[in-house]
Amino acid sequence: MQIVYWVFILLLVSFGAVVMGLEILSSNLMSPYFGGSIYIWGSIISSFMVHFSVGYVLGGHLSQRHPRISVLAAFLVAASLWVLMIPAMYKPVCEFISEEIADVRLGSLIAMNAIFFVPISIMAMVSPYIIGIMAAWRRQSGFTAGMVLFISTVGSFVGTNATAFYLIGIFPVSRIIVGLGIICLAVSLTVLLLRIDRRIKW
Amino acid sequence: MKTGAALGIILFSCLSLFPAQVAADNQTLYEGDSIYHHITVNQNRTERCMIFGRQRDLRQTCIDFARPDHSVFEYTAMMFAAFLFRPDAKSVCLIGLGGGYVPGVFRRHLPSVRLQIVEVDPLVEKLARQYFAFSVPPGQTLAIDDGRQFLKKSRERYDQIWLDAFNSDYIPAHMTTKEFLSLVKARLTEGGIVIQNLFLGNRLYDAQLATFRTVFAKVFVFEGQQSASAIIVATENPAVEPAGLRKQALAWGGRIGGIDLIAETAKCKVPPLSSKAPVLTDDFNPANLLLMQKK
Repeated sequence: MQIVYWVFILLLVSFGAVVMGLEILSSNLMSPYFGGSIYIWGSIISSFMVHFSVGYVLGGHLSQRHPRISVLAAFLVAASLWVLMIPAMYKPVCEFISEEIADVRLGSLIAMNAIFFVPISIMAMVSPYIIGIMAAWRRQSGFTAGMVLFISTVGSFVGTNATAFYLIGIFPVSRIIVGLGIICLAVSLTVLLLRIDRRIKW
Repeated sequence: MKTGAALGIILFSCLSLFPAQVAADNQTLYEGDSIYHHITVNQNRTERCMIFGRQRDLRQTCIDFARPDHSVFEYTAMMFAAFLFRPDAKSVCLIGLGGGYVPGVFRRHLPSVRLQIVEVDPLVEKLARQYFAFSVPPGQTLAIDDGRQFLKKSRERYDQIWLDAFNSDYIPAHMTTKEFLSLVKARLTEGGIVIQNLFLGNRLYDAQLATFRTVFAKVFVFEGQQSASAIIVATENPAVEPAGLRKQALAWGGRIGGIDLIAETAKCKVPPLSSKAPVLTDDFNPANLLLMQKK
Protein backbone atom coordinates (compact mmCIF):
# COMPACT_ATOMS: atom_id res chain seq x y z
CA MET A 1 0.00 0.00 0.00
CA GLN A 2 1.20 3.48 -0.79
CA ILE A 3 2.53 5.65 2.04
CA VAL A 4 -0.30 8.08 1.27
CA TYR A 5 -2.84 5.64 2.62
CA TRP A 6 -0.85 5.14 5.80
CA VAL A 7 -0.77 8.89 6.29
CA PHE A 8 -4.53 9.01 5.82
CA ILE A 9 -5.00 6.25 8.38
CA LEU A 10 -2.64 7.96 10.83
CA LEU A 11 -4.52 11.26 10.55
CA LEU A 12 -7.95 9.62 10.78
CA VAL A 13 -7.17 7.41 13.77
CA SER A 14 -5.22 9.96 15.81
CA PHE A 15 -7.57 12.90 15.32
CA GLY A 16 -10.64 10.67 15.67
CA ALA A 17 -9.24 9.51 19.02
CA VAL A 18 -8.15 12.94 20.24
CA VAL A 19 -11.50 14.58 19.48
CA MET A 20 -13.39 12.07 21.61
CA GLY A 21 -10.72 12.06 24.32
CA LEU A 22 -11.17 15.82 24.62
CA GLU A 23 -14.95 15.44 24.70
CA ILE A 24 -14.72 13.06 27.67
CA LEU A 25 -12.20 15.30 29.48
CA SER A 26 -14.27 18.42 28.94
CA SER A 27 -16.76 17.18 31.56
CA ASN A 28 -13.96 17.30 34.14
CA LEU A 29 -13.15 20.85 33.07
CA MET A 30 -16.78 21.98 33.29
CA SER A 31 -18.08 20.28 36.46
CA PRO A 32 -16.19 22.36 39.07
CA TYR A 33 -17.73 25.50 37.61
CA PHE A 34 -21.12 24.38 36.30
CA GLY A 35 -21.96 21.25 38.32
CA GLY A 36 -22.08 17.61 37.31
CA SER A 37 -25.58 17.35 35.89
CA ILE A 38 -26.90 16.10 32.59
CA TYR A 39 -26.97 19.78 31.54
CA ILE A 40 -23.20 19.64 31.30
CA TRP A 41 -23.40 16.69 28.94
CA GLY A 42 -26.07 18.48 26.92
CA SER A 43 -23.69 21.41 26.49
CA ILE A 44 -20.68 19.24 25.74
CA ILE A 45 -22.38 17.08 23.12
CA SER A 46 -24.27 19.89 21.42
CA SER A 47 -21.16 22.09 21.31
CA PHE A 48 -19.13 19.32 19.72
CA MET A 49 -21.91 18.71 17.18
CA VAL A 50 -21.74 22.38 16.18
CA HIS A 51 -17.95 22.19 15.88
CA PHE A 52 -18.23 19.01 13.81
CA SER A 53 -20.72 20.60 11.41
CA VAL A 54 -18.53 23.65 10.95
CA GLY A 55 -15.49 21.43 10.39
CA TYR A 56 -17.31 19.22 7.87
CA VAL A 57 -18.45 22.16 5.74
CA LEU A 58 -15.09 23.89 5.99
CA GLY A 59 -13.11 20.71 5.32
CA GLY A 60 -15.21 19.83 2.28
CA HIS A 61 -14.96 23.37 0.90
CA LEU A 62 -11.21 23.76 1.44
CA SER A 63 -10.44 20.32 0.01
CA GLN A 64 -11.99 21.42 -3.29
CA ARG A 65 -10.01 24.64 -3.46
CA HIS A 66 -6.74 23.25 -2.11
CA PRO A 67 -6.75 19.46 -2.42
CA ARG A 68 -3.39 19.14 -0.66
CA ILE A 69 -2.63 17.33 2.57
CA SER A 70 -0.12 19.99 3.57
CA VAL A 71 -2.90 22.60 3.80
CA LEU A 72 -4.89 20.32 6.10
CA ALA A 73 -1.77 19.54 8.15
CA ALA A 74 -1.04 23.26 8.59
CA PHE A 75 -4.50 23.77 10.03
CA LEU A 76 -3.96 20.77 12.32
CA VAL A 77 -0.73 22.30 13.65
CA ALA A 78 -2.75 25.35 14.69
CA ALA A 79 -5.38 23.14 16.35
CA SER A 80 -2.67 21.22 18.22
CA LEU A 81 -1.16 24.42 19.57
CA TRP A 82 -4.60 25.50 20.76
CA VAL A 83 -5.05 22.14 22.55
CA LEU A 84 -1.71 22.65 24.30
CA MET A 85 -3.02 25.97 25.63
CA ILE A 86 -6.27 24.55 27.05
CA PRO A 87 -4.86 23.60 30.50
CA ALA A 88 -3.75 27.20 31.00
CA MET A 89 -6.87 28.84 29.59
CA TYR A 90 -9.81 26.82 30.95
CA LYS A 91 -9.67 28.00 34.56
CA PRO A 92 -9.86 31.75 33.93
CA VAL A 93 -12.39 31.23 31.11
CA CYS A 94 -14.73 29.04 33.22
CA GLU A 95 -14.24 31.22 36.29
CA PHE A 96 -15.18 34.36 34.37
CA ILE A 97 -18.17 32.84 32.57
CA SER A 98 -19.58 31.12 35.69
CA GLU A 99 -19.44 34.41 37.56
CA GLU A 100 -21.03 36.43 34.76
CA ILE A 101 -23.78 33.95 33.87
CA ALA A 102 -25.93 32.39 36.57
CA ASP A 103 -27.63 29.79 34.35
CA VAL A 104 -25.35 26.75 34.21
CA ARG A 105 -26.83 25.60 30.89
CA LEU A 106 -25.99 28.82 29.05
CA GLY A 107 -22.74 29.22 30.99
CA SER A 108 -21.40 25.77 30.16
CA LEU A 109 -22.50 26.14 26.53
CA ILE A 110 -20.56 29.38 26.17
CA ALA A 111 -17.52 28.00 28.02
CA MET A 112 -17.48 24.86 25.83
CA ASN A 113 -17.53 26.96 22.68
CA ALA A 114 -14.92 29.42 23.92
CA ILE A 115 -12.49 26.61 24.69
CA PHE A 116 -13.20 24.03 22.01
CA PHE A 117 -14.68 25.76 18.95
CA VAL A 118 -11.38 26.38 17.17
CA PRO A 119 -9.54 23.07 17.72
CA ILE A 120 -12.52 20.72 17.32
CA SER A 121 -13.79 22.48 14.17
CA ILE A 122 -10.34 22.10 12.63
CA MET A 123 -10.00 18.45 13.71
CA ALA A 124 -13.44 17.68 12.26
CA MET A 125 -12.07 18.76 8.87
CA VAL A 126 -9.87 15.65 8.64
CA SER A 127 -12.45 13.16 7.28
CA PRO A 128 -14.14 15.41 4.68
CA TYR A 129 -10.75 16.79 3.64
CA ILE A 130 -9.37 13.33 2.97
CA ILE A 131 -12.55 12.35 1.12
CA GLY A 132 -12.19 15.55 -0.93
CA ILE A 133 -8.54 14.84 -1.77
CA MET A 134 -9.43 11.35 -2.89
CA ALA A 135 -12.24 12.68 -5.06
CA ALA A 136 -9.85 15.16 -6.67
CA TRP A 137 -7.34 12.37 -7.09
CA ARG A 138 -9.87 10.54 -9.26
CA ARG A 139 -8.21 7.22 -8.98
CA GLN A 140 -9.91 3.96 -8.39
CA SER A 141 -9.03 2.73 -4.94
CA GLY A 142 -10.42 0.60 -2.17
CA PHE A 143 -10.49 3.68 0.00
CA THR A 144 -14.13 4.74 -0.10
CA ALA A 145 -15.76 7.61 1.80
CA GLY A 146 -17.32 4.94 4.02
CA MET A 147 -13.87 3.51 4.77
CA VAL A 148 -12.61 6.97 5.77
CA LEU A 149 -15.48 7.41 8.21
CA PHE A 150 -15.01 3.87 9.50
CA ILE A 151 -11.32 4.40 10.32
CA SER A 152 -11.97 7.75 11.96
CA THR A 153 -14.78 6.26 14.05
CA VAL A 154 -12.59 3.37 15.20
CA GLY A 155 -10.12 6.02 16.36
CA SER A 156 -12.92 7.76 18.23
CA PHE A 157 -13.93 4.50 19.89
CA VAL A 158 -10.39 3.96 21.13
CA GLY A 159 -10.03 7.58 22.26
CA THR A 160 -13.29 7.53 24.23
CA ASN A 161 -12.66 4.31 26.09
CA ALA A 162 -8.96 4.83 26.72
CA THR A 163 -9.66 8.27 28.22
CA ALA A 164 -12.73 7.45 30.30
CA PHE A 165 -11.67 4.04 31.58
CA TYR A 166 -7.91 4.36 31.97
CA LEU A 167 -6.24 7.72 31.41
CA ILE A 168 -8.41 9.66 33.91
CA GLY A 169 -7.44 7.13 36.58
CA ILE A 170 -3.72 7.47 35.91
CA PHE A 171 -2.95 11.09 35.00
CA PRO A 172 -4.21 14.56 35.89
CA VAL A 173 -6.64 15.91 33.29
CA SER A 174 -4.33 18.78 32.34
CA ARG A 175 -1.50 16.36 31.65
CA ILE A 176 -3.73 14.14 29.49
CA ILE A 177 -4.73 17.19 27.46
CA VAL A 178 -1.10 18.21 27.01
CA GLY A 179 -0.33 14.62 25.97
CA LEU A 180 -3.13 14.68 23.39
CA GLY A 181 -1.86 18.05 22.14
CA ILE A 182 1.66 16.67 21.73
CA ILE A 183 0.33 13.66 19.79
CA CYS A 184 -1.62 16.01 17.50
CA LEU A 185 1.37 18.26 16.99
CA ALA A 186 3.71 15.34 16.28
CA VAL A 187 1.30 13.78 13.79
CA SER A 188 0.56 16.99 11.92
CA LEU A 189 4.24 18.05 11.78
CA THR A 190 5.25 14.58 10.57
CA VAL A 191 2.64 14.76 7.83
CA LEU A 192 3.88 18.22 6.84
CA LEU A 193 7.51 17.09 6.74
CA LEU A 194 6.74 13.97 4.70
CA ARG A 195 5.61 16.24 1.86
CA ILE A 196 2.99 13.71 0.93
CA ASP A 197 1.44 15.83 -1.82
CA ARG A 198 4.48 15.20 -4.06
CA ARG A 199 3.99 11.47 -3.77
CA ILE A 200 0.43 11.50 -4.96
CA LYS A 201 0.50 10.57 -8.62
CA TRP A 202 -2.15 12.63 -10.33
CA MET B 1 -70.32 3.12 71.02
CA LYS B 2 -68.59 6.39 71.69
CA THR B 3 -65.23 4.70 72.24
CA GLY B 4 -65.83 2.76 69.05
CA ALA B 5 -66.39 5.96 67.13
CA ALA B 6 -63.35 7.57 68.76
CA LEU B 7 -61.23 4.56 67.88
CA GLY B 8 -62.63 4.72 64.38
CA ILE B 9 -61.64 8.37 64.06
CA ILE B 10 -58.16 7.68 65.42
CA LEU B 11 -57.76 4.72 63.11
CA PHE B 12 -59.04 6.69 60.16
CA SER B 13 -56.75 9.63 60.83
CA CYS B 14 -53.79 7.26 61.16
CA LEU B 15 -54.67 5.67 57.86
CA SER B 16 -55.02 8.97 56.09
CA LEU B 17 -51.70 10.14 57.51
CA PHE B 18 -49.88 7.06 56.29
CA PRO B 19 -52.16 5.64 53.62
CA ALA B 20 -49.70 3.11 52.28
CA GLN B 21 -49.09 1.56 55.68
CA VAL B 22 -51.88 -0.94 55.17
CA ALA B 23 -50.62 -1.85 51.73
CA ALA B 24 -48.78 -5.04 50.89
CA ASP B 25 -45.12 -5.49 51.72
CA ASN B 26 -42.65 -3.83 49.41
CA GLN B 27 -44.85 -1.73 47.27
CA THR B 28 -43.55 0.74 44.70
CA LEU B 29 -45.23 4.09 45.26
CA TYR B 30 -43.36 6.06 42.63
CA GLU B 31 -40.90 5.37 39.87
CA GLY B 32 -39.56 7.97 37.47
CA ASP B 33 -36.61 9.91 36.16
CA SER B 34 -35.26 13.31 37.05
CA ILE B 35 -32.47 15.12 35.23
CA TYR B 36 -30.03 13.41 37.62
CA HIS B 37 -31.36 10.04 38.70
CA HIS B 38 -33.75 7.22 38.24
CA ILE B 39 -35.77 7.49 41.46
CA THR B 40 -37.99 4.90 43.08
CA VAL B 41 -40.06 5.36 46.23
CA ASN B 42 -40.72 2.06 47.96
CA GLN B 43 -42.71 1.06 50.98
CA ASN B 44 -41.87 -2.04 53.01
CA ARG B 45 -44.16 -2.37 56.04
CA THR B 46 -43.72 0.93 57.88
CA GLU B 47 -40.43 1.80 56.19
CA ARG B 48 -40.46 4.09 53.20
CA CYS B 49 -37.36 4.56 51.07
CA MET B 50 -36.21 6.77 48.23
CA ILE B 51 -33.87 4.83 45.98
CA PHE B 52 -31.51 6.33 43.41
CA GLY B 53 -30.28 4.32 40.46
CA ARG B 54 -31.53 1.07 39.05
CA GLN B 55 -30.25 -1.23 41.75
CA ARG B 56 -33.32 -1.87 43.84
CA ASP B 57 -31.37 -3.31 46.75
CA LEU B 58 -29.47 -0.10 47.38
CA ARG B 59 -31.70 1.81 49.75
CA GLN B 60 -30.53 5.34 49.90
CA THR B 61 -32.76 7.28 52.18
CA CYS B 62 -35.45 5.81 54.40
CA ILE B 63 -37.89 6.86 57.08
CA ASP B 64 -39.64 4.42 59.36
CA PHE B 65 -43.06 6.00 59.79
CA ALA B 66 -43.76 3.91 62.88
CA ARG B 67 -40.58 5.37 64.44
CA PRO B 68 -39.77 8.59 62.56
CA ASP B 69 -36.91 9.34 64.95
CA HIS B 70 -35.23 6.02 64.31
CA SER B 71 -32.14 6.28 62.13
CA VAL B 72 -32.70 3.54 59.55
CA PHE B 73 -29.11 3.92 58.41
CA GLU B 74 -26.06 3.75 60.56
CA TYR B 75 -24.42 6.66 58.77
CA THR B 76 -27.05 9.24 59.73
CA ALA B 77 -26.73 8.16 63.37
CA MET B 78 -22.95 8.61 63.12
CA MET B 79 -23.41 12.06 61.54
CA PHE B 80 -25.41 13.19 64.57
CA ALA B 81 -22.69 11.80 66.84
CA ALA B 82 -20.21 13.87 64.82
CA PHE B 83 -22.42 16.91 65.57
CA LEU B 84 -20.92 16.71 69.09
CA PHE B 85 -17.55 17.89 67.77
CA ARG B 86 -19.16 21.32 67.57
CA PRO B 87 -22.06 20.94 70.00
CA ASP B 88 -22.83 24.67 70.28
CA ALA B 89 -23.52 24.96 66.53
CA LYS B 90 -26.02 27.70 65.66
CA SER B 91 -26.04 27.22 61.91
CA VAL B 92 -25.64 24.11 59.81
CA CYS B 93 -25.56 23.69 56.03
CA LEU B 94 -26.77 20.29 54.82
CA ILE B 95 -25.92 19.33 51.24
CA GLY B 96 -28.22 16.52 50.11
CA LEU B 97 -31.87 16.30 51.15
CA GLY B 98 -33.01 12.79 50.21
CA GLY B 99 -36.18 11.85 52.03
CA GLY B 100 -35.56 14.49 54.67
CA TYR B 101 -34.69 12.32 57.67
CA VAL B 102 -31.81 14.58 58.76
CA PRO B 103 -33.82 17.86 58.54
CA GLY B 104 -36.60 16.08 60.51
CA VAL B 105 -34.24 15.30 63.37
CA PHE B 106 -32.98 18.90 63.37
CA ARG B 107 -36.56 20.16 63.40
CA ARG B 108 -37.71 17.96 66.29
CA HIS B 109 -34.60 17.85 68.44
CA LEU B 110 -32.31 20.74 67.49
CA PRO B 111 -34.90 23.46 66.78
CA SER B 112 -32.56 26.30 67.74
CA VAL B 113 -30.09 25.39 64.97
CA ARG B 114 -30.60 27.31 61.72
CA LEU B 115 -30.49 24.72 58.95
CA GLN B 116 -29.70 25.55 55.33
CA ILE B 117 -30.58 22.60 53.12
CA VAL B 118 -29.14 22.37 49.60
CA GLU B 119 -30.51 19.79 47.17
CA VAL B 120 -29.54 19.65 43.53
CA ASP B 121 -32.53 17.71 42.23
CA PRO B 122 -35.95 19.43 42.17
CA LEU B 123 -37.68 16.05 41.87
CA VAL B 124 -36.12 14.88 45.15
CA GLU B 125 -37.68 17.89 46.89
CA LYS B 126 -41.05 17.16 45.30
CA LEU B 127 -40.97 13.48 46.31
CA ALA B 128 -39.75 14.30 49.82
CA ARG B 129 -42.75 16.60 50.27
CA GLN B 130 -45.18 14.16 48.69
CA TYR B 131 -44.07 10.86 50.18
CA PHE B 132 -41.95 11.69 53.23
CA ALA B 133 -44.00 14.46 54.85
CA PHE B 134 -41.07 16.84 54.35
CA SER B 135 -41.66 20.55 54.72
CA VAL B 136 -39.46 23.53 55.45
CA PRO B 137 -40.21 24.84 58.95
CA PRO B 138 -39.23 28.30 60.22
CA GLY B 139 -35.52 28.23 60.99
CA GLN B 140 -34.77 26.03 58.00
CA THR B 141 -34.30 27.10 54.37
CA LEU B 142 -34.02 25.05 51.23
CA ALA B 143 -32.08 25.93 48.08
CA ILE B 144 -32.29 23.89 44.89
CA ASP B 145 -28.73 24.11 43.62
CA ASP B 146 -25.54 22.17 43.08
CA GLY B 147 -23.73 21.97 46.44
CA ARG B 148 -20.48 23.38 45.13
CA GLN B 149 -22.16 26.19 43.19
CA PHE B 150 -24.24 27.07 46.25
CA LEU B 151 -21.24 27.35 48.55
CA LYS B 152 -19.32 29.31 45.93
CA LYS B 153 -22.08 31.91 45.57
CA SER B 154 -22.96 31.97 49.27
CA ARG B 155 -21.40 34.55 51.54
CA GLU B 156 -22.73 32.82 54.67
CA ARG B 157 -20.54 30.98 57.12
CA TYR B 158 -21.70 27.89 58.97
CA ASP B 159 -20.65 26.19 62.20
CA GLN B 160 -21.09 22.83 60.51
CA ILE B 161 -21.34 21.76 56.87
CA TRP B 162 -22.78 18.30 56.25
CA LEU B 163 -22.04 16.63 52.95
CA ASP B 164 -24.59 13.92 52.32
CA ALA B 165 -24.61 13.89 48.53
CA PHE B 166 -22.89 10.58 47.96
CA ASN B 167 -24.32 7.19 46.98
CA SER B 168 -22.55 3.87 47.20
CA ASP B 169 -22.46 3.58 43.41
CA TYR B 170 -22.00 7.16 42.26
CA ILE B 171 -20.57 10.30 43.79
CA PRO B 172 -20.44 13.83 42.38
CA ALA B 173 -16.73 13.93 41.64
CA HIS B 174 -16.50 17.74 41.72
CA MET B 175 -17.39 17.57 45.43
CA THR B 176 -14.45 15.36 46.38
CA THR B 177 -11.54 17.58 45.45
CA LYS B 178 -9.02 19.65 47.38
CA GLU B 179 -10.39 22.80 45.72
CA PHE B 180 -13.93 21.95 46.85
CA LEU B 181 -12.82 21.23 50.43
CA SER B 182 -10.93 24.54 50.50
CA LEU B 183 -14.19 26.23 49.51
CA VAL B 184 -16.00 24.36 52.31
CA LYS B 185 -13.33 25.49 54.75
CA ALA B 186 -13.78 29.08 53.64
CA ARG B 187 -17.51 28.83 54.43
CA LEU B 188 -16.95 27.54 57.99
CA THR B 189 -16.87 29.74 61.07
CA GLU B 190 -13.90 29.70 63.44
CA GLY B 191 -13.73 26.15 64.81
CA GLY B 192 -16.36 24.98 62.34
CA ILE B 193 -16.52 21.36 61.25
CA VAL B 194 -17.32 19.50 58.05
CA ILE B 195 -19.04 16.12 58.21
CA GLN B 196 -19.22 13.83 55.21
CA ASN B 197 -20.54 10.33 54.65
CA LEU B 198 -18.57 7.86 52.55
CA PHE B 199 -18.10 4.13 52.12
CA LEU B 200 -15.53 1.69 53.45
CA GLY B 201 -13.72 -0.94 51.46
CA ASN B 202 -12.83 0.99 48.29
CA ARG B 203 -9.82 3.01 47.24
CA LEU B 204 -11.80 6.26 47.23
CA TYR B 205 -12.00 6.08 51.03
CA ASP B 206 -8.23 6.45 51.44
CA ALA B 207 -8.07 9.10 48.71
CA GLN B 208 -10.76 11.14 50.49
CA LEU B 209 -8.92 10.89 53.80
CA ALA B 210 -5.70 11.99 52.12
CA THR B 211 -7.51 14.90 50.46
CA PHE B 212 -9.18 16.05 53.69
CA ARG B 213 -5.77 15.92 55.40
CA THR B 214 -4.27 18.35 52.90
CA VAL B 215 -6.99 20.92 53.71
CA PHE B 216 -7.84 20.45 57.40
CA ALA B 217 -5.56 20.17 60.42
CA LYS B 218 -7.68 17.55 62.21
CA VAL B 219 -9.42 14.63 60.56
CA PHE B 220 -11.43 11.98 62.43
CA VAL B 221 -13.54 9.09 61.20
CA PHE B 222 -16.48 7.08 62.45
CA GLU B 223 -16.37 3.60 60.96
CA GLY B 224 -19.65 1.73 60.70
CA GLN B 225 -20.04 -1.57 62.53
CA GLN B 226 -23.35 -2.76 61.05
CA SER B 227 -22.76 -1.28 57.60
CA ALA B 228 -20.00 -0.28 55.18
CA SER B 229 -20.69 3.38 55.90
CA ALA B 230 -18.20 5.77 57.40
CA ILE B 231 -18.18 9.42 58.41
CA ILE B 232 -15.32 11.88 58.07
CA VAL B 233 -15.18 14.83 60.43
CA ALA B 234 -12.65 17.53 59.71
CA THR B 235 -11.82 20.86 61.28
CA GLU B 236 -9.00 23.32 61.80
CA ASN B 237 -9.60 23.57 65.49
CA PRO B 238 -11.92 21.12 67.22
CA ALA B 239 -14.02 22.36 70.13
CA VAL B 240 -14.06 18.76 71.39
CA GLU B 241 -11.39 16.05 71.00
CA PRO B 242 -12.41 12.42 70.29
CA ALA B 243 -11.59 11.54 73.90
CA GLY B 244 -14.09 14.12 75.11
CA LEU B 245 -16.84 12.94 72.81
CA ARG B 246 -18.41 10.48 75.26
CA LYS B 247 -18.62 13.21 77.88
CA GLN B 248 -20.42 15.41 75.36
CA ALA B 249 -22.80 12.55 74.55
CA LEU B 250 -23.60 12.18 78.25
CA ALA B 251 -24.14 15.93 78.56
CA TRP B 252 -26.77 15.57 75.83
CA GLY B 253 -28.51 12.88 77.85
CA GLY B 254 -27.02 10.22 75.60
CA ARG B 255 -29.52 10.80 72.82
CA ILE B 256 -30.56 13.03 69.98
CA GLY B 257 -34.02 11.75 69.08
CA GLY B 258 -33.78 8.02 68.43
CA ILE B 259 -30.00 8.06 68.13
CA ASP B 260 -27.90 6.44 70.83
CA LEU B 261 -25.00 8.91 71.01
CA ILE B 262 -22.97 6.81 73.46
CA ALA B 263 -22.89 3.84 71.08
CA GLU B 264 -22.18 6.03 68.05
CA THR B 265 -19.37 8.08 69.61
CA ALA B 266 -17.56 4.80 70.40
CA LYS B 267 -17.06 4.35 66.63
CA CYS B 268 -14.90 7.47 66.38
CA LYS B 269 -11.17 7.19 65.81
CA VAL B 270 -8.19 8.92 64.31
CA PRO B 271 -7.62 7.26 60.93
CA PRO B 272 -4.19 5.75 60.23
CA LEU B 273 -1.98 7.56 57.74
CA SER B 274 -1.94 6.02 54.30
CA SER B 275 0.82 7.55 52.26
CA LYS B 276 -0.02 5.68 49.06
CA ALA B 277 -3.46 7.21 48.59
CA PRO B 278 -3.71 9.94 45.94
CA VAL B 279 -4.93 13.45 46.76
CA LEU B 280 -7.93 14.35 44.60
CA THR B 281 -7.87 17.70 42.83
CA ASP B 282 -10.02 19.31 40.13
CA ASP B 283 -7.24 18.28 37.77
CA PHE B 284 -6.65 14.72 38.99
CA ASN B 285 -10.01 13.28 39.87
CA PRO B 286 -10.69 9.60 39.21
CA ALA B 287 -13.18 9.55 42.13
CA ASN B 288 -15.73 7.30 40.49
CA LEU B 289 -13.06 4.90 39.21
CA LEU B 290 -11.56 4.66 42.73
CA LEU B 291 -15.03 4.06 44.19
CA MET B 292 -15.34 0.93 42.05
CA GLN B 293 -11.90 -0.41 43.03
CA LYS B 294 -12.20 -2.61 46.07
CA LYS B 295 -9.40 -2.66 48.61
